[in-house]
Amino acid sequence: MARVKFVLRLLVLGFFALFLHYVLPQHDIVKVTSTEVIRTDFSSINRIFFAQADSGAANPDVRDLRLINAQKQNTFLLGFVRRDSSSVMVYRNEDTGWIWPPYFKFNSADLQAVAANLARGDDWVVITRYGWRNRWISIYPNVVKMRVVDGPDVRIIPWFNIGFFIFLLVAMLFIRAMWRQFWERAVDPLMDSATHRIDRTQANLAERRGRWARWFGRK
Amino acid sequence: MAFIKLAIFGFIALTVVYWSIALYARSVRKERLEKSFDAANPGTADKAARDAFVAQGMAAYQASFRPKLIGLVYVVPTLAVAIIAYLINTN
Repeated sequence: MARVKFVLRLLVLGFFALFLHYVLPQHDIVKVTSTEVIRTDFSSINRIFFAQADSGAANPDVRDLRLINAQKQNTFLLGFVRRDSSSVMVYRNEDTGWIWPPYFKFNSADLQAVAANLARGDDWVVITRYGWRNRWISIYPNVVKMRVVDGPDVRIIPWFNIGFFIFLLVAMLFIRAMWRQFWERAVDPLMDSATHRIDRTQANLAERRGRWARWFGRK
Repeated sequence: MAFIKLAIFGFIALTVVYWSIALYARSVRKERLEKSFDAANPGTADKAARDAFVAQGMAAYQASFRPKLIGLVYVVPTLAVAIIAYLINTN
C-alpha cells in the first residue's frame, strides 16, 4: 500500500513537472533562417498543443500556421548547460490571446515580421518560447519574444521562472498554514463533540442491549 | 468574448482566494486574542469576560486597515496581467 501511494505521488508530481515544463517560458539561442506559413490539419492528438480559437468562434480542424525556422544552439539540462553544437529547430508563432496559457500574446503578425527581418541577417537571437517540439505528432514550441544579442554565449537569467517558483513555494506554505488553521479551529472541535456524542450513543446502546440480554436471559 | 470569459472566471477564482484569506486572517487573529487573554488571566474561568475581550479585539481588527489589504488579491493579479500583456506585445 505504501508503495502504491509512493508511485501515485510520483506520478502526480511527474505530471505537474511536465505541465510546468510545457507552460513556463524557456530561452533558446538561435539564428533565424527563414519563416513560412503552412496549412495544418489538426488531429485529436495534437489539437491541444495549438492555440484555441476565440470562445464563440468556430474551432476548425484546418488552419494556416506561422512557422519560424531556426538553427538552435544545443543545451543540456533545460538550457542551463550549453553545448558547442547546434541543430535545426522549428517554432510556431501563434496568438494565445486571453486564453490558455496566460501569455496574453496578440502580436504574432508583428513577431513574424520581426522574424522575417532577422532571417535576412546573421544575428544571434534569444527566443523566449514555451511548449515542446515533437516530430511524431507535429507540435512546435510557441515563440513569445525575440531579442537580438551580441553572441551565442550571452548570460540569460530566467527572472520570470525565479519569481514564479518563489511564488509557488510561498503559496504552498500559505495553503498549508491555512489548512492547518482550518483543521485546528473548525474541524477538530467539531470532531471532538461528534466523537463525544458517538461515545454517549454507544454507551446508551450498550446499556439498552444489556437490558434486552437480561430480559431474554431471564427466560 | 475570450476576455469576458477570463474576466468572469478570474473574478470568481479571486473571490474564492479572497474569502479564504479573509477567513484565515480572522481565525489567526481570534486565536491570538484568546491566547493573549489566557496568558494575562491565568486560571480564570470567566468565559463572558474572555468572549467580550475577543469580540472587542475582533471589532478593532475589522475597523483597522489590515483586513482591507486583503483586497490586494484583486488588484495584484489584474496588474500582473496588464504588465505581462504589455511586455509580451511590445516589439
